[in-house]
Amino acid sequence: MSSMTENREGSAHRGAPGPYMAGIGHVVALELKQRLRSRGWYIMLAIWFALTGLVTWLTWASWSASNAFQRDFGDVSGAGSTGPGSLIFEVVLAFVLLFALLVAPALSANAVNNDRAGGTLAILQVTLLEPGQILWGKFVAAWAAALAFLVASTPFLVIGVALGGLTPAYILVSLVMLAVEVGIVCAIGVGISALAGRPLFSIVVTYLAVAGLVVGTLISFGLGTGLTQGTVLANNPQYRAYAPLQSEPMDAGYTCAGPLREQSAMHTERVAWTLAMNPFVVVADAIPYPDRTARQNFTSIGAIEGISQAARQAMAGPEGTTPCANGKVQPTYLGQKTPLWPLGLGLQLVLSGLLMWLGWRSLRTPVRKLPRGTRIA
Amino acid sequence: MAIISEQPGGQQFPDGGITAQGVSRSFGTVRAVDHMDFHAPAGKVTALIGPNGAGKTTLLLMLASLLAPDQGTITVGGLDPARNRAEVRSRLGWMPDTLGVWESLTAREILTQMARFYRLPASGIAPRVTEMLERVRLTGLADQPARVLSRGQQQRLSLARALIHDPSVLLLDEPASGLDPGSRVELRTTLRQLAAEGKAVVVSSHVLSELDEIADGAVFVNNGRTVRQQTTEEAAAAGRRYAITAADTAALAAELARLGLEFRREEGRRPGVSLVLHNEVGAERLLRDLVLAGVGIRSFAPAVGALEETYMNLEGERR
Repeated sequence: MSSMTENREGSAHRGAPGPYMAGIGHVVALELKQRLRSRGWYIMLAIWFALTGLVTWLTWASWSASNAFQRDFGDVSGAGSTGPGSLIFEVVLAFVLLFALLVAPALSANAVNNDRAGGTLAILQVTLLEPGQILWGKFVAAWAAALAFLVASTPFLVIGVALGGLTPAYILVSLVMLAVEVGIVCAIGVGISALAGRPLFSIVVTYLAVAGLVVGTLISFGLGTGLTQGTVLANNPQYRAYAPLQSEPMDAGYTCAGPLREQSAMHTERVAWTLAMNPFVVVADAIPYPDRTARQNFTSIGAIEGISQAARQAMAGPEGTTPCANGKVQPTYLGQKTPLWPLGLGLQLVLSGLLMWLGWRSLRTPVRKLPRGTRIA
Repeated sequence: MAIISEQPGGQQFPDGGITAQGVSRSFGTVRAVDHMDFHAPAGKVTALIGPNGAGKTTLLLMLASLLAPDQGTITVGGLDPARNRAEVRSRLGWMPDTLGVWESLTAREILTQMARFYRLPASGIAPRVTEMLERVRLTGLADQPARVLSRGQQQRLSLARALIHDPSVLLLDEPASGLDPGSRVELRTTLRQLAAEGKAVVVSSHVLSELDEIADGAVFVNNGRTVRQQTTEEAAAAGRRYAITAADTAALAAELARLGLEFRREEGRRPGVSLVLHNEVGAERLLRDLVLAGVGIRSFAPAVGALEETYMNLEGERR
């Protein structure tokens, strides 16, 4: 009897790239067919495209207006040499990330419990599909639907890169990171939707989770910093006379002298992990920027670099940022090179992985414990 | 056909049916199913009868291996669903009482997806789907989105979906609810066919009149317990109430009194009498006696179905 079973299973799977993956593929196909046939998704996509275009145009218009103003008044120290590219790119990137974070919960956070409410989840569960295949299929479909929004905004990111003379690596890395962040929100949404009974509840909870990542991390970093009062050993910096033309560009402009003394400082490195979980920090920190230590002129530091360096400074803590900590000259603003995004991304993956695992547990059949007030079918 | 031959059929196993022994299931403090026993043999249609909230759907969910029993065992064709998950699943067909249709997909797409989820060989899927669409008479609507189908059509689609992988055990939860009389007759024919193919068919319902015609046996449940298991023949043999109307009710009553039978006057829209007869032979004899006695009989028939009789008696016992 069992040998017959094996034969049948074997013949059905031969040549397939693994029956488990094939099952996921079938669930994805089912989900995408339904999504592609709903008008709402296309309307959202069209609104998205129009909005991103509007933001791009407004950014470009405001840059050229201020540029014209500066030219008319003979101000040569402005941003005339850099072009609008980096500005447009950064504004569009931030905008796309913000709206992707807002769209992703709507696309993912009712994936499972909406089916449960409609009675179609049990139809899947009673087949040979494993709970993991259902969950992964739902996740991949939600992610794919959300990625369409990124694809729709790609032209504007390309415009930003093209106008600003930025390297293609910029656009590649930023798109990959946007996709990963959207995927994390989708995983959170799908996981919560498998856990929560009602679609409305799970969508709200997912939005709160996104708000927690975007705003909550900043608040907890700010409040947490107050709890990190400590000291750092440092001696006194002695600043040289101001001589901008002679000094090296990345020269800290001081030397350290005198005995080491304890100075009060905030040990931000203890709470910097909360900051690292912020999607904006992860994306900004992962995007490469040129090493400024060798350059003379870095007046046009963008917001992305700014966010990245601020976060890296927080991570370095007073040991790495206080002048003359431990008697050493510290690199200044743009010298922090330890990336923060692997930590943040790792924490985000742990969070979304945990929710997906809990969601997987709730999809196992035969069901032992049902959420209160729900039925299987 | 190729697909069917690859599926292990119930006939290969002497015990091809589905059995539950002493299963219990609680939801919080509510004991939905309490030490229920159930057996549906292969090749027979078994009715699961009980009032609303008796635990029928909960039992079916456990039989469908979706819900784990707190206690007790379930075997499908002699196999334990917990250990032979895939094997049991490929033998079970389940039609839920909530239809659960992917509304934007067409009937053909729904059946194709289900065939894939049951891992049928890819080459056999298209002919199998066409065959099932023909079986439930949805060929003409095969490429319409499921949302335009009427309730009865969706019900037929749901039946096709439960049958796509040629299961040997079929669990149908209220399959007749919402069907028009014509579709009910059709469902009856389909279910008899499936039983004749050797499948164990379980039908839950509280519409009893039609179950008389479909079911070979019945399991009566109430308050989460199995109240009685009997075959339709046993139910019929247990005695049924017959309703008789005559041109002259007084003459009928007088004749019945002369025969020494206990009867009850029915003051309905059509006045008549009703009485309990123990078997069909007795009914036959009484009718002949009445006709020979010159009573103008207008109608002579069982007042209710055999299963309904048992059901009503059980209801009476409960009070």
